[in-house]
Amino acid sequence: MVAREGPEAPATAVRHHGRVGTPLLELVGVTKHYGAVRALTDVSFAIGPGEIHALVGENGAGKSTLVGVITGLVEPTAGTVLLDGEPQTYRNPRAARAAGVVAVYQDPRLFPHLDIAENVFAGIYPRHAPGVINRAEMHKHAAALLARLGVDLDTRAPLSSLSVAEAQFVEIARALATDTRLLILDEPTAALTAEDTERLFRLVRGLREAGTSIIWISHRMEEIRALADTITVLRDGKHVRTAPAVALTEAQMVQLMVGRDVTLTRTAPPAAGGQDVLTVSGLSGKGAFEDISFCVRAGEIVTMAGLLGSGRTEIAETIFGLRKASAGTVSVSGVPVEPRSPRRMQRHGVAFLPENRDREGLITAFSVARNITLPSSRALSRLAVMKPRLEQSMAIDQIERLEIKTAGGNALVSSLSGGNRQKVAIARWLATHPKVLILDEPTHGIDVGTKVHIHELIRQLAHDEGLAVLVISSDLLEVLALSDRVLVLCEGRIAAEFAGDEATQESIMTAAMPQATAVAQ
Amino acid sequence: MSQVRELVRRRAYELLLVVLIAAALVWSANVTSYLSVPQLFDSTRSFVVPGLLALGLLVVVLQGEIDISLASTIGVGTVVLARLSAAGLALPLAFIVVLAVCALLGAINGVLVTVAGLPSLAVTLGTMGAYRGLAYLIGGDTGYSAFDPTYSSLGSQYAGIAPASLVLFLIVAVIVAFLLQRTVFGRQTYAVGSNPIASRVGGVPVNGVKIAAFTLAGLTAALAALVWIGQYGSARADNADGSILFVVTAVVLGGADIAGGRGTVLGTVLSLFLLGTLTNGMNLINVGGPTQTLVLGILLVASIGIPRAARLLLQRRARPA
Amino acid sequence: MSAVGAGAGGWIGSVLRLRFLGVVGALLLICAVFSVTADRFLSLGNFRTVLFTAAILAVAVVGVSFVMLTGNLDLSVGAAMGMTAYVSADFAAHHPGIGIMLVLIGPALGALLGLVNGFLVATLSVPSIVATLGTMSIYRGYTYLYAHGQQVTSTQLPSWMLNFADASYLGIPSFVIVAVVVVAIAAAVLRYTTWGRQLYAVGSNSEAARFYGLPTHRLMLTAYVASGAVAGFAGFLYAARVGTVTVVLASGWELQVLAAIVIGGISIWGGSGSVIGAALGAVLLATISNGLVLLGMPDYWQLVIQGVAIVLAVGVDALISRQTARVTTRRRALAAAGVPKSPIQVRSS
Repeated sequence: MVAREGPEAPATAVRHHGRVGTPLLELVGVTKHYGAVRALTDVSFAIGPGEIHALVGENGAGKSTLVGVITGLVEPTAGTVLLDGEPQTYRNPRAARAAGVVAVYQDPRLFPHLDIAENVFAGIYPRHAPGVINRAEMHKHAAALLARLGVDLDTRAPLSSLSVAEAQFVEIARALATDTRLLILDEPTAALTAEDTERLFRLVRGLREAGTSIIWISHRMEEIRALADTITVLRDGKHVRTAPAVALTEAQMVQLMVGRDVTLTRTAPPAAGGQDVLTVSGLSGKGAFEDISFCVRAGEIVTMAGLLGSGRTEIAETIFGLRKASAGTVSVSGVPVEPRSPRRMQRHGVAFLPENRDREGLITAFSVARNITLPSSRALSRLAVMKPRLEQSMAIDQIERLEIKTAGGNALVSSLSGGNRQKVAIARWLATHPKVLILDEPTHGIDVGTKVHIHELIRQLAHDEGLAVLVISSDLLEVLALSDRVLVLCEGRIAAEFAGDEATQESIMTAAMPQATAVAQ
Repeated sequence: MSQVRELVRRRAYELLLVVLIAAALVWSANVTSYLSVPQLFDSTRSFVVPGLLALGLLVVVLQGEIDISLASTIGVGTVVLARLSAAGLALPLAFIVVLAVCALLGAINGVLVTVAGLPSLAVTLGTMGAYRGLAYLIGGDTGYSAFDPTYSSLGSQYAGIAPASLVLFLIVAVIVAFLLQRTVFGRQTYAVGSNPIASRVGGVPVNGVKIAAFTLAGLTAALAALVWIGQYGSARADNADGSILFVVTAVVLGGADIAGGRGTVLGTVLSLFLLGTLTNGMNLINVGGPTQTLVLGILLVASIGIPRAARLLLQRRARPA
Repeated sequence: MSAVGAGAGGWIGSVLRLRFLGVVGALLLICAVFSVTADRFLSLGNFRTVLFTAAILAVAVVGVSFVMLTGNLDLSVGAAMGMTAYVSADFAAHHPGIGIMLVLIGPALGALLGLVNGFLVATLSVPSIVATLGTMSIYRGYTYLYAHGQQVTSTQLPSWMLNFADASYLGIPSFVIVAVVVVAIAAAVLRYTTWGRQLYAVGSNSEAARFYGLPTHRLMLTAYVASGAVAGFAGFLYAARVGTVTVVLASGWELQVLAAIVIGGISIWGGSGSVIGAALGAVLLATISNGLVLLGMPDYWQLVIQGVAIVLAVGVDALISRQTARVTTRRRALAAAGVPKSPIQVRSS
């Protein structure tokens, strides 16, 4: 671990303000395993006092888990977090805050019914006496904090009246309400306008001058360029490199983020020329995506790549009737279908696997067999009475076909591993004989072995059985391994389209990054 | 042997109820000499009305909703029957009308909960009052007891040694069990109660399934209204007022999860029998209704609280290890 | 301080305030209808009667509001009132020497009953509807056992207790003053104490509350204890008012209280609403029943109107929250549109 850290890691630890030699925060061998999933493996690096430290990596590289460990939200499996050289074990984020470590998340965790000032001070109220809130003081402080952030909000307005961007500033104000030594900002500019972003930059630089350290998590290269003193790259839960910002070019950074030695094989593309099965034209969803047009042919795998929040999931959900479209049409095999409900889309041969399979894709309290047969209930019944024998045989067929490892059809889904759960989720749709299969992050949180298996299955479904398959994936290697065609989404629009064999990790990354090209030019 | 063990594991709660029923029977037989098979059969009569409601409510609860307006629906049912009897309508026709009326009241609850998206507790709290008021509007505040004899046959006759109403209850229980275990609707009911989002994604018409459940509950209330008339020979707008809490208790004591997704007809029927045997035994030795209420409450709290307390203690112990 | 501008959020704030004003408006409307239709309605004496009836309900409503704000229910409130009323009265009958300290018995016993509820809901995480349904039966059943078929008659109660119930100060019935004081204290506690604000926080977003390290369990537990204590006080008031205390006192109040709270604008999911609104909900119910009596209408109309009012109230709440969500998405859309789109034209195929 010392070797990997390299000589450049602690170099910036001694900037203007720190006690010489002691970094503000040091991570030593931090490891976090969730069952078989290795979210973090032996991560070690240091953050100096008064530095802006950019933390970069692909989705799923382990950034959020790392932030959780630093703020006491996640208990590490192994390793230590040192603040001022002292090992820390915070029981919860409140304890971390008391030590001056605060994180601001992308999705604000706030109280919609309470007013702005209370959101800033929930749990840390200014008080007249123990237990008695000084409301005047609270509003005054909140207003002052917001003024310092340069936003103009009525501190008495309820939080639910704010936009996401405004709520983000409220959360930052909350982070600054107490004495903060390390401020962690997770994708802070995702919902901000250019003007707000500039304001945030000024604030962050000001904090650095005052001696506060900042961990800045972002996908946007130009932000990192503009702000960071030091950059740490994570990949697959492992620490790749920590270097001064000046020592890394953008291209190098991208390469460090995506360069992996795992090989996911790619098969020969199919003979082209299948019929258009899923045709989407001019589809828009309010606030999420605009004017999306594409088609998926029979026997073809099309992937949608892009950053989180680029609108991919929303597009899939709209096609499947889970969200309202504000404009545009969807047709299946040339027949226009208004995507009003999942049931309707299912009857037209569209199947959808949500990313969060335990919450949205499966009924974990049900048995494997019942999960598999739920969408086919109608076909497995006569006069609304289920036929147990048909049901049983369908379940067994699918379990065998997908090689689902289960104690039997009656075993509960909750007893299965992630990969096998995903197979159950796929099985239940295959049993309905769909024409279109939409998969949102089909291998998220699944071990490598099963991953390969699921990839084979997806290829087989498309290439051998002629399904039109649309895959959403943040895993670039998966995108490259599966795609016959790649659509790159950026801020709710299709930013680029590549043939499967023309796409490279770098070209996809470049197209997916907002404004990245502008900086590169 | 392993099959027995499997049965014990999967049906542990139901077995517990059976053991408790047996214990209650033995206890009843020991403390009194009045206990006999005919006496037991006779005592079940008073449990048929709440029992029918419990079966309807079970379906609603399995979907993660609640309906506390059902006792008021009985009130509407009985006064409508009274009106129709007074008008000289034949029972089959009158019964169809009552079924339709009660189903409609249930469906109104369902529509308010699904289409308007309101919390079912608040909705049925509201309709509980509104339907009770409706019963008064239809029936006035005086009772009606000049029923045509056919109207009261179901609730008062015997089929062999068993009261006809008990047989009816068991038939309805079998039908509801069949609905839940063997039909598409049953599958969808458990699915919606376990995870409404995943159900929607899986193509389950969540709103339709919920409206159907509330309507079904209305139908069981209509049956209960007919039984009521046979048992008490009279109809008044305040019939069954206040009995809903007992019904909810029976469903929850039967092992149904109030949050939905878990529960069986067998559990509900057993819990009704347990409550019935206990009540009967306590009645025979002249234990007052209030004490019975106390026992009921302790049973309810203990049935839910003890397993959770045990789990909590186990967790506490496991943590330092 | 000067940085605070008009702010973007006034709109929703005013809608929420409108929800409160809606209760006031409904109250005024009903008063207007009754003052035209029932000639005795608009008299000072009748006004006093309405408030007197509403007073005890309003007190009970205050307690349950604490629990409701955290997103839980308390169906045992009627039974808790019944038990505390009976025990207080019984104690007064057998220990006349206790004097004014008698007032404390109700709240103390109530707090204990609340503690049991809180233990079940907060510590054992039994769903609140089940837990309090069970304790409702237990508290009521125990009261019967305790009473042994007896009742406490007004002659056994200390005279100051009965006199207090009948007294008025400056023409205002004592109970109304007590209710106003209780509501005012509760409103202040909910607004100005960390405990009160954290109750709202837990109800508004329990996940965020846990995330920020708020003591969610302790807050729920103490909300039940407070609810029980207030119910105990309400029980004492009820005993003083009726004089003859029987074990069925306050039967069915749990639903009355719930109705008043829901009509008064406290969300059944917790996190929003005010105790003053809830108390006005109690006044609204009392006004309706009073007006109907004056009009000589059968009292079941009360049930119909009350039922429709509950459904309307939650309907309006749902509409507001949906409207809020819509505005938020629209704003999000605007914010997204504000991001300058980079002109990427790397389409290759």
